[in-house]
Amino acid sequence: MSIERKTGRPIGELIREGEDPEQLYGELRAAFERECSAALTPQQGQALRDRWLGRRSGLLSAINDHWLKAAPRELKPVVGKLQNLLRRDLEAAVKAAAEAAARVQVQAEPDLDTTLPGPERGGGAVHPVRLALEEVLDIFRPLGYSVAEGPEIETFFYNFEALNFPADHPSVDEMDTLFLKDGALLRTHTSPCQIRIMESKSPPLRYVVHGKVYRNDTPDATHSPMFHQLEMFAVDESITFGDLKGTLEHFVRCFFGPQTQARFRPSFFPFTEPSAEVDITCPFCSDGACRICKQTGFIEVLGCGMIDPNVLRNAGLDPERYQGFAAGFGLDRFAMLKYNIDDILLMYQGDARFLRQFR
Amino acid sequence: MRILLSWLRDFVEIEESPRELADALTMAGMAVDAVESEAGETVFEFDITSNRPDAMNHFGMAREVAAIYRRPLRAPSTACAESGPPAASMASVAIQDPDACVRYVGRVFTAVEVRPSPDWMRRRLELCGVRSINNLADLTNYVLLEIGQPTHAFDLDRLAGAAIVVRRARHGERLVTLDGEDRDLTEGHLAICDAERPVALAGVMGGQATEITAETRNVLLEAAWFRPSVIRNAARGFKLFTEASHRFERGADWNAAPRAADRIATLLAQTGPGQVLPGQVDCFPRQPKLSPIRLERAHILRHLGIQVDDAEVEEILSALGFEPSPDTSGWSVPAASHRLDVERGIDLIEEVARIHGFANIPATLPLVGAAPEPTPLAAEDARMRSAVRGLGYDETIGFAFISSDEAERFGPGDPVSLRNPLSQLWDVMRNSAVPTMVRALEWNLRRNQPFVRLAEFGRIYQRSGASYDEPSVLTLGASGTARQASWAEPAREVGFYDIKADIAVLLAPFFPDAPDIVTEGVPPYYRDKHAVGLKSDGEVLAWFGELDPKLARERKIRQPVWVAEIFLDKVYGRGLRRPIHGKLAKVPAVSRDFSLLVPNAVDFASITEAVGEMPDLDSVEPVEVFRGKNVPEGSYSLLLRAWWQRLDESLTDEEVNGFAAELRSRLQSRLGITTRT
Repeated sequence: MSIERKTGRPIGELIREGEDPEQLYGELRAAFERECSAALTPQQGQALRDRWLGRRSGLLSAINDHWLKAAPRELKPVVGKLQNLLRRDLEAAVKAAAEAAARVQVQAEPDLDTTLPGPERGGGAVHPVRLALEEVLDIFRPLGYSVAEGPEIETFFYNFEALNFPADHPSVDEMDTLFLKDGALLRTHTSPCQIRIMESKSPPLRYVVHGKVYRNDTPDATHSPMFHQLEMFAVDESITFGDLKGTLEHFVRCFFGPQTQARFRPSFFPFTEPSAEVDITCPFCSDGACRICKQTGFIEVLGCGMIDPNVLRNAGLDPERYQGFAAGFGLDRFAMLKYNIDDILLMYQGDARFLRQFR
Repeated sequence: MRILLSWLRDFVEIEESPRELADALTMAGMAVDAVESEAGETVFEFDITSNRPDAMNHFGMAREVAAIYRRPLRAPSTACAESGPPAASMASVAIQDPDACVRYVGRVFTAVEVRPSPDWMRRRLELCGVRSINNLADLTNYVLLEIGQPTHAFDLDRLAGAAIVVRRARHGERLVTLDGEDRDLTEGHLAICDAERPVALAGVMGGQATEITAETRNVLLEAAWFRPSVIRNAARGFKLFTEASHRFERGADWNAAPRAADRIATLLAQTGPGQVLPGQVDCFPRQPKLSPIRLERAHILRHLGIQVDDAEVEEILSALGFEPSPDTSGWSVPAASHRLDVERGIDLIEEVARIHGFANIPATLPLVGAAPEPTPLAAEDARMRSAVRGLGYDETIGFAFISSDEAERFGPGDPVSLRNPLSQLWDVMRNSAVPTMVRALEWNLRRNQPFVRLAEFGRIYQRSGASYDEPSVLTLGASGTARQASWAEPAREVGFYDIKADIAVLLAPFFPDAPDIVTEGVPPYYRDKHAVGLKSDGEVLAWFGELDPKLARERKIRQPVWVAEIFLDKVYGRGLRRPIHGKLAKVPAVSRDFSLLVPNAVDFASITEAVGEMPDLDSVEPVEVFRGKNVPEGSYSLLLRAWWQRLDESLTDEEVNGFAAELRSRLQSRLGITTRT
């Protein structure tokens, strides 16, 4: 006899046929457990609830009528207790089953393909030169450096004379200057701003100057008539060449990676004495065998030196009291090295395909 | 400059491998670009800085080697047998401009025979990249490469009066130089003349009329010192850059002139045939006075951060050809004619430092000397940049040059013109960044980019009296779809309101109230009635709108292009506004929608103005604008939503109904707007 049929008959009859109340309730409990052992859909969960706990036609309601209410007086306490236990367990189990069913539903939502891309929301690119600039500024600001830009249209005095370029020296030619019709010029480097700052502020000075500079160079993969330079300088009573070395070693390690070593080579610039070019160990290869360092293991990255006493004097500072260092480099070149850009002209075409790589 | 290892070995012992030597010289400031092996010979390719003409020859480079390794330096032999009458009896030298020509040494060779040079000499010249010509020309080139002194050989028999006169050229004088060019000389040129006419352009190139030929028997050799600026101006004026002018304009050594003449005499006597007449004709009217240089011991420490031993300082300076005499606080060092670049104590310190080795100076860090100054407008700029980026504009940077045509169409006033522009398309500094932006948009549209949004932070250039202004401008450019089309959203063309909304976002941090929109004064490169300006306190902050389609078509752009110019100095000048928190309402706002029929002439600004101030009115917003079907001619349909709110209590339906009736009546009475039913 199925358990459903048993629930439809008075318990007194069942006992006379040899059933026992505990066994009857046990069978019922086992039947329920079988039914809710499988994972249920929400619909199945609702059906389970209706079948067992439905107010009118639920099995629990049926046994309430046929077993509990119709029980012989002497059996009432036992049946009542069994009935209460079963009700409590069934209600808890049905609730849990319904929750599980709801959870299953979220996971199995068939309409959401989470691998589809979300619609584009922009987030524009930062120009690689700007990216490099901000990185450099983040290195120098904590060292106490202020930041300035200065005018791009300059005078011969600030661009050359004050910087100790002899008026008749080939180094003026080497700069390939773009002149304006009235004799002013486009600055060929950021150094004129060094003079302007030294003229208007008193030491100690720690400055980073950056911005556009111009040369009369025909554009090609490594030359651009406009590019970006950055220079840093420090003027104080006791700045030494050793300080210059320490500052730049720190800088190239921060920018190119902690393994990077700097090599200082004597060189010549009119505005520094002693002057040096700085080569760094190639960040792209460990064995000096790559295209970027031309198989030398070193890459020349910047020029520097102790500010020439004539420059200090031209800017109104007493070279007997003050001295300082200065270093400069092309931000475009730094960006090219860091981001593997092989053509400087890409920087100035505005090609969105190029720029979007820097989002 | 090519330098041969074997030639260096004529003057200094070298035990090191070519690679080791190259590294040591590089680290002393003589940059070796390449080490090559050619026909069993090691050739160094040097890149020598313009301040070191003294090292642009083998002996000078050997001096560097000797200093680095502290080895003895052997000078080239200048001992030669002389015979015959004194040179001075055969030729005369006179300097009429002793400032431009400080020294002129002549030497006379007779009974020469022009023929090929010996093999060893030809080989050295050729390895250095110099073509062998004949024994006399080769001798001058050889000595130039050996000790750096340019010399010139004249056919003595073709010098009128057997005389050399160094003087300024006279107006109208001409000279056919060795390259066959007939050149006009002026008073600005220093000429080497014979008794009658110019025979060479001093320090640059000799003349054809007196050059060595197969018939030459007697030679006058010139070894001189010319003022660098004179040579430089001549070379630049004629665009005639020679090995000689290269040396002279960087500064030769007046004491090397007699040595070079003797060295050539010695080599000629060795390789022959030829007779060296006794003595030099040395015209040296006044020896330039060089001031002694003071080198303070304490200054070495002060500049380098290390103390170098006295003995080492003296060793280094002596090896480089200086003669330091020590005293209590340092050294007195006579300036040396072969190192005119060394004039001051700091120059000597550099010499000590580079030979001691930059690598041997320990790295230190300076103390932070003073609190850094805040960068002007840094916060404003950072805020603007991050907003631009967030709106999806890709940052671009364009060249600051435009053409004068563009300047005329895009900018006001007299543009800043270049004297030596790279091209006619780049002959002025931009007075507007719009042409730069249009070029960038064009570049992308030609490459089939369906979606372009670019932003450039840059300067424009203007005259300001006798000086210049370089105001900062943010230029935006957009064309194509508003967003990149995707499966999730249909594509939509970018339009005026997208740009307007973006600019509102960009300016919000600076202006508590939205700036006024103006339609007057919009520059003509915008499409008429499709562009506006923003003004605050009478200053134009921005222009934005659609680029004039005619201009776009000239650039082969056949779709709408949207451009904005934001004048950053004006915007940043306001400073970032300080946000002030107001009270938040405790109860929700109540809205009413109005379906309006609006005469075409009435714009949205008039509607908000007509609504004006009303108690508890929070905002009025357009929900839908519709023109066309089912809308009577001459009108458009507008769905307007108004919100009312009181901070602390709810509004009743009756109150809101009253407000709505008032709003309708204002629109009706002030603008003739009717409510649709």
